[in-house]
Order: sequence, then C-alpha cells, then structure tokens
Amino acid sequence: MSSSALEVKGLSKSYGDKSVLRDLSFTAALNDFSVICGKPGNGKSVLVRTIMGLEDVDAGQIIVRGQDVTDADSGSRDIGYIPQSFALYPHFSVRKNIEYPLTLIKASKEAKTEAVDRVSELLKIGDLLEKMPVQLSGGQKQRVAIARGLSKATDVYVLDDPLVGLDFKLRERLIEDLRLTQEKLKVAFLYITSDPLEALQLAKTVLILADGKIIQQGALADVYDAPSSLPSMTTLGFPEANVIPGKIQSSNFTSEIFEAVVDVTGGSTAAIAGIRPEGILIGKHPGTIAVSATLTLLENLGSEFAAYLDVKGTQFITVLSRTDIEGLKLIESKNLTISIKPEAITLFDFDSKKKIGTGVAHV
Amino acid sequence: MYDINLKNVTKSFGSLNAVNDITFTIPKSSVTVLLGPSGCGKTTLMRMIAGLEVPTSGNIFFDDIEVTRVPTKRRNLGMVFQYPVIYRGTSVKRNLELPLLTEKLSKEEISKRVHDVADLLGISGDLNKMVEELDNGTRQKIAVGRAIARQPQIILFDEPITNIDITAKLELKRSLKEVFSRLSQTIVYVTHDQTEAMTLADQIALMQDGVITQCAPPKEIYERPKSQFAGWFLGNPGINFIEKEHISQTGSGITSSLFSQTLEAGSMASKVKVLGVRAEAIEVHTKQTAHSRAARVVRKSLGIGGQYLLDLEYGSLKVKARVPHQRGREIGENVWTSVNSSDIIMFDENGAAL
Repeated sequence: MSSSALEVKGLSKSYGDKSVLRDLSFTAALNDFSVICGKPGNGKSVLVRTIMGLEDVDAGQIIVRGQDVTDADSGSRDIGYIPQSFALYPHFSVRKNIEYPLTLIKASKEAKTEAVDRVSELLKIGDLLEKMPVQLSGGQKQRVAIARGLSKATDVYVLDDPLVGLDFKLRERLIEDLRLTQEKLKVAFLYITSDPLEALQLAKTVLILADGKIIQQGALADVYDAPSSLPSMTTLGFPEANVIPGKIQSSNFTSEIFEAVVDVTGGSTAAIAGIRPEGILIGKHPGTIAVSATLTLLENLGSEFAAYLDVKGTQFITVLSRTDIEGLKLIESKNLTISIKPEAITLFDFDSKKKIGTGVAHV
Repeated sequence: MYDINLKNVTKSFGSLNAVNDITFTIPKSSVTVLLGPSGCGKTTLMRMIAGLEVPTSGNIFFDDIEVTRVPTKRRNLGMVFQYPVIYRGTSVKRNLELPLLTEKLSKEEISKRVHDVADLLGISGDLNKMVEELDNGTRQKIAVGRAIARQPQIILFDEPITNIDITAKLELKRSLKEVFSRLSQTIVYVTHDQTEAMTLADQIALMQDGVITQCAPPKEIYERPKSQFAGWFLGNPGINFIEKEHISQTGSGITSSLFSQTLEAGSMASKVKVLGVRAEAIEVHTKQTAHSRAARVVRKSLGIGGQYLLDLEYGSLKVKARVPHQRGREIGENVWTSVNSSDIIMFDENGAAL
C-alpha cells in the first residue's frame, strides 16, 4: 500500500491582484508516478517553485514525509528536482555535473561515486561520464540533467516538464527511461506537464490542474473515463475532446448539431456535451446519432490519423486507423456522415462546468 | 518549375561532415520533407539549396542550371523560417506588398496577388490589421504569404511550425496543407516532427548522420522502412525489434518467440538477424487462437484516441502492442497474441531491410 510522501493543503498564492494558486490541495504517494497536467497559464511553474521552497506561499501547508516544511528552506526539504531546461555546467565533466548536488552538501567521495554509479546505470550514460557537456547531443544532455536530479538519494522527486522542447523521438525514449526509473526506485515522482500525451504515457496517478486548483485526482484510466468536469475532460486526452454547447429539456440534450437522450441530475438547464474522439465514428452505424460533416484535415500520426471535421461551423475530431482511411477512401473536402456514440457523451453544467450526466445508449 | 538536383554534395564543419556525399533529386511541383533527428544535416542541406551555405564539395542544379555558388537572391526562391520574418509596425497588407515592390509589377497586379495570397491563407479579414495585433500562427501565415506572393520557382520551409503555440499549430498545419495542394512550386520542408512530415509530404527524405537513408511517400516509408532506423523513427512508438536471441532459423524458415508460425524467408533466411513488428500489428486476444503465443501484460499507458499501449512479455522478449480503449487489458493479465506474417519486416546484421 502506498503512503503519502508529499501533501499540499489549501495552497494559495497571488501576485498583486492576480490570484495564481487558489486553495490548491493534493497528495503524492510513495511508489507512484503522479503527473500534474494543466494547460499553459494555469500556475504549474508557481506550484513547482512553492513546493521546492523557492517561493513563499500566501496560505496553506506543504507537508513532506509527514513534516510541515512550509516555512523550511529549500535545501532542508530533501526533495530531488529535475528542472525544465538542462542547464549543465559547461566547465564540468558529466561526472562532476551529476555529483554537483552532493558536492553542495559536502558528501563524501565514496557517496558521490556510489550515486554516480547508481544513476548512470539507471539512465544508461556510463559511457558519457568523462565527456564534457559540449560533446553531448540534446537528448544526452537531458539524460544527464535527469541523472543529476536523481543523484540525490531521496524518496520524493519533482520533475518540472523536463522533456519540453526535445525532439519527438528523444521524448519517446526518455518517457520509457523515466517510467522504468520510477519503477526501480519505488519513490514518489511528481511530474508536471502541459502535454496531455506525456501525461497519458507516464502517469499512474493523474492530477488535473485548472484555474489554480487541482480539480480531479485519481488513477489515470479512472480520470480519463470519468472526468468530473469539462476542464478535466479537455485537459487530459489527445486529441482534445469535442465540446458542443446546448440545453437539456426533459431528458433530452439538444444542440444545433445533434439531439440525444440523456440521463442527468437536475432539470432544464444550459449544458455542454463533451465527446472524446473515439466516441465519433465515420459512416452510419447502428445505435448512433448520424450527423453530416465535411472532412477538413487528415493529420497523419503514424499508425492512425486525426480526422478534423466541420459540422455547421463547429470542429469535430476523431481518430482513424490507417486501414479505416484506406477502406473509406477519405480525402480532405469530402462530405460524409459521422456517427456519435450516445454512450460516449458526457454532460456538464454550462456555468459550473461540473458533470451532470451522460448520454443513454440506444437499445 | 525546377527539379533540384544534388550531385555528391558534402558540407564539412571542421572534421564533421554535416552533409555527406548526397546525390538526390527533389522533384518539381511536389512537397519533399527533409525529416530527421537534431544534427542529422537536414537544415544544412536546405541552407545549401538556399545558397546560405556553400558546399565543401559537390554541385547543386536547378533543372540543369548549376547554382552551387549562385547567391541566394539570384536563385528565385522563397523562404519561411522558424520565427516569422515580418515587418512590425506595418499592416498585414503592407507586409505582403513589400516583397512585390522590387518585381516591376503594376499596382493592379500587386493588389491582385496580395488578395489572392490572403484568400489562400484565410487572412483576408486581417489585411488592414497591424501585425502586433495577431497571434504567432497568423504571423507565420503572413511570412508564408510573403514567400509565395512573389511566385518563386522554389519555396523552402525551415521548421515553420516548431515555435508556434499548440492552439495555432493545427490551423497553420491545415493552412499549409491547403496551400501546398494549390501551389505548383517545388517545395522543400525541414522538420524533426514525423507527424508534420507524414501529413504534409508527397515524399519524405529521411536523414541520419548526414545522409538520406530513404526517400519515399509517407505510407511506404511507414509500412516498408528500408532500415531499422526508419522503422524506429517513424511511428509513435517506433517499430518493435525482435533481436537475434529471440529468432531461430531452420532452412529457409524463421521462427520467433513472438509468433508461432514459420516465416518463409527463402534464400535470405541466413541473413535475417532482426525482425520488426509495429505495435498495431500485434493482435491481442483473451483466448488462444491459431498461431497465437502466450504473453503477460507488464505495463500499460494511454495514448492517442484513448488507445492503450501495452508492454507485453514473452519470457525475456518484450514488445509493445496497441489496443483500442474498450479492449484495454489489466497489468499482470495473461493474454494471447498473434501477428500476420505480412506485417513482419526482416532486417540483416547492418539494420537494412531484406
């Protein structure tokens, strides 16, 4: 059973009139890969700085291993930190760069050697140790930066969007490395990102950050399958969920685009329907809601395509396999029928954006 | 329009050959994407086509006219860079007009071209706005407009989407695809992003260590990579590799821990050292089926369109398989998998497809 390694309670932070973090709370457990996913401008960087002790909080508590460290200085919190940019010291070898956090705390030579051996094996950089940073590729530099962050043997690590800006394939490799590293170390990883695909690929537990708060926390598949609010649904998922405004009257959702029978709490209200891309099919299918659309772009993602469709001026996205594309002979500008699975519809209150119900499958 | 012909082109920086003896034709009136990881030489190659670098050796021709040492301004080409090159403090319309003023065109012709380009890029409504009022994606559209308004023979794009924020990226990609389908110019486009490459290209020239390892249409390069590198680079995740310790050869047949059928490799059987199988080609079943193998789900994550990516173990062999969301399996679950023989690619000891 995992236990809480890091707990944040009621954290608030403002800059002048601008409130960035608003009564934000969450826990991150030992032996868990927790990912905070939020769209740009939602306070991720401020949150990292407050957890690391680089910035004071206006209200709330930060608790590490059961101890309140809200007012403790950064060094005494004993949190490993992997930053966004791989700022390696250019005049130090890779080995000295990795040792540096231990040099700062005057660790023994043996402790430094042990740490370098441990992390270089984890990140497969043993052959780079005597090189200088200038001799490394971008991916190697970031791997060294991650190793430096891990050289401090602790049980709580904060990873501040460490893969941002890296080549696609480097990211794919490092995602694999990070997952395996966390599994081997069995420590708490708290990873912060604005990239939903990274969150989906890395997280065991996901925390959705929106409007300065953690609005939902849970096992990855649970949050993906049952978002508690519209921002939760649109933040986690790639491509982003489709969003259609409308209203609910007598167990019916009506919009300019489609109507559906729904199961909701509450009476007549303005509402928003959220539908993940996989809830939309191309062509007519039994038990679905058929809508006319125009294909505007096929984005080739490799094994699948993201199909962007225009329905009465509203953009819809679905994901199709290569065989779908070839079988259906799809090309851009083509008019076609799309089918919405009613059970894939999640309904949210228009004002509060909270979940109020779901679509009802056709029998 | 021009073909671009490269003959034994090399560019060295000190002891490093950034581009190494490339002989290659970029066909006229098509979109060729130079794709590869950082440092593969793709930008250097494009800069030589543009005349911004001179090859250390080799020759560059536009059709049969040699341009190796011809200055950029005499090559009749347009360029779009990572950061939009536009004039601040002026309107969108003025930005589009400026490159046309040196072309000795009538006022009517200039006006026509500006409006045609704005229509094509979907920025007609922005013509009288100042560029400061616009987001980065629209600014990049203006830069594209400036490059195409002169109607050059060749247009070069150097990672034009890389620094655009995620919301504007899609619109720009859609716009570029539309523009490319309407233009008859020769287009060369540099990127490290496989999705951009596969979405926009007529053909992808995949580069590694200063050479072009394969040039083919997106579908062909994805489905039939000529090397392990191409199989790994295209796709998310890259292709699964089954290394030699998991492969056996008997006569002309190849067997593996991944599948139970025997692959017929004919006279090439002895050369097969690695097999490649894409994640989506591995079918995952809950019960044993014909030609299936038992495996265990050891890890899973979500991906595009809610699909699950499963890490499967067959003894010491590990591969990734992709399954639809509704068929996601549990960690620790025992499953059965199968692969069609036609989805298996054989590679030799040098990583070349057989």
